[in-house]
Amino acid sequence: MHFIKFLNLALLVFFLSGAPGAAALTEEEKNNIDLYRRLAPGVVNITSTLLEHDFFFNVIPRKGSGSGSIIDSRGYILTNNHVIGDGKLEVTLAGGNKYMAKLIGSDPDTDLAVVKIEAPKESLSVIPMGDSADLKVGQKAMAIGNPFGLLGQTLTVGVVSSVGRTMRAENGTLLEDIIQTDASINPGNSGGPLIDSSGKLIGITTFIFSPTGASVGIGFAIPVNTAKRIVNDLIGKGYYSYPFLGAILINLSPDISEALRLPVKTGAMVTEVIQGSPADKAGLKGGNRRAQIGNNIVIVGGDVIVSVNRIQVQDADTAIREVRKLNPGDKVQLEVVRWDGTSETVTVTLGEKPRGAKVP
Amino acid sequence: MSQGPGIIVDRKRATMCLEFPSAARAFRRAVLALLVCILAAYSNASALTAEETATIAAYEKVAPSVVNITTQMCEAESFFFCATPSIKGSGSGVVLREDGLIITNSHVVSDAQNIWALLSDGRRLAARITASDANNDLAIIRVDPGNKPLKAIELGNSDGLRVGERVLAVGNPFGLGQTLTAGVVSMTDRSIKNDGKVLRHLIQTDAPINPGNSGGALINLDGELVGLCTAIISPTGSSVRLGFALPVNLIKAAAPGLMNSWPRNTGWVLAILLAVWLLRRIMESGARIMMGNN
Repeated sequence: MHFIKFLNLALLVFFLSGAPGAAALTEEEKNNIDLYRRLAPGVVNITSTLLEHDFFFNVIPRKGSGSGSIIDSRGYILTNNHVIGDGKLEVTLAGGNKYMAKLIGSDPDTDLAVVKIEAPKESLSVIPMGDSADLKVGQKAMAIGNPFGLLGQTLTVGVVSSVGRTMRAENGTLLEDIIQTDASINPGNSGGPLIDSSGKLIGITTFIFSPTGASVGIGFAIPVNTAKRIVNDLIGKGYYSYPFLGAILINLSPDISEALRLPVKTGAMVTEVIQGSPADKAGLKGGNRRAQIGNNIVIVGGDVIVSVNRIQVQDADTAIREVRKLNPGDKVQLEVVRWDGTSETVTVTLGEKPRGAKVP
Repeated sequence: MSQGPGIIVDRKRATMCLEFPSAARAFRRAVLALLVCILAAYSNASALTAEETATIAAYEKVAPSVVNITTQMCEAESFFFCATPSIKGSGSGVVLREDGLIITNSHVVSDAQNIWALLSDGRRLAARITASDANNDLAIIRVDPGNKPLKAIELGNSDGLRVGERVLAVGNPFGLGQTLTAGVVSMTDRSIKNDGKVLRHLIQTDAPINPGNSGGALINLDGELVGLCTAIISPTGSSVRLGFALPVNLIKAAAPGLMNSWPRNTGWVLAILLAVWLLRRIMESGARIMMGNN
């Protein structure tokens, strides 16, 4: 009797644990298949068509293609700013339905954008956002996207290769906490999701490092925590307001400091202050003369920021990062060393960064 | 007769005991099993898989033992004895001994004027070549770790590698900084021709290996060194997932000879001393013979 009941129970457990055919797959494979099945409907293909005129005024449509993730059942889709271009946007759902999309908001600094489609709720499958703060090198990273724009939906699997890289985008803006992965990422994957083994969005695949233009196993994604910070602003008002200091900073390295006989070894040196900016109003001073140090020409004579809100800064990137943590309107205390060697604490009321400004 | 009903009652009670409560128990067990199943599925979905845990542990174990190497070389037409070394190269290296012995590829450091090793704790130490074996593409460099010893890597056994086994490459591709890539052993015991030399008994892997990964570690999931990333086959110069690593058993065989602390020209000095000694003996004996003749 007991034996038969145990058998029943075992059978029950067996059937509950999945189809008998799945028993031959490894845990990894099951996980991959399960995640793809669950999340692929939430990944869309985005095509932007831009009408261009050639020399003879013939109209030539130029198409760009990328991917995106549905982040909200109202139809909001998260993608890369460089995917949307400035043409007409067409979104193809995983099921094949096409919708015209409206650009809701974009942020060139983080290369993120939100577009919206008017699709019935039941056809929209949302990709849940995870947490990119404690990612570990070696954990699984899956990318779903539309490589080269002509293949259709594609799953590639790899590991997290490194976390916390800081990189400069082509337009010079600072991209922080970049996730690197060896999952194959190719042109057309841009804007698509990077997913962890629990099926949560951890990044937005954005660019690759490659001498050939195609994947060499080095892909980069913007962390989802960056997206979480700005997405509500993008949906609400169409842009993200960065705090604005209005000063151009360079790294003060020990050798420059030595050459200039400054009392501090490292910090962020102000080379220029934008007129009328918060930094200008607070009395920060930019450089006023050129000096050749080694092989570089440096604009000297400005203040050196050594701490932001009592957090020591060794270089310009750290200073920018600390300021970026605040909101427009916040007061920030900067400890500066003046050109004459005196130390002073300056309080700056941060403004809102004008759109298109390249100065932090 | 009295026994009969008694037995019946007994049996009834027995069946009641056996069936109804046990059915309830079975039901409860089934519910429990269902819950366990759902929980298992759920926890499976929110935690890391076994392979991920193993990969993370292996990476964290070896990460301090893999260094980034940057080099400066002289330009070929450099006239004034390389006053400004300009061409920069990058590669990787693996710490063999705590006191600062690092193994890398000889092609990473062979032409270098200046060599630096960037440790994972952020220290940047000057290195110099201790030994170099161009035929096997191996080189040993030495840094002075001061009072903070390095962490030596654990050496595995490359003879036990099987095709299909998971391996991880840790290195510094394109000089980007420390990077983990994962793949499997594609083939063992491969021979390829590289720069006119034939490298034998290589491990082939599909873990992405790029320029700059050279001299980096290929490890197994136990965090043991099984190979030294050395070469790729590619029409483009960057990874098409055909990477090759020198097997660790070759390193084990070659390293003791490379690591000896004798100065590199000791052999020549000894040979010259021996030759001088022999010459003197010959001359002495010649003189003796001449004297004998007299």
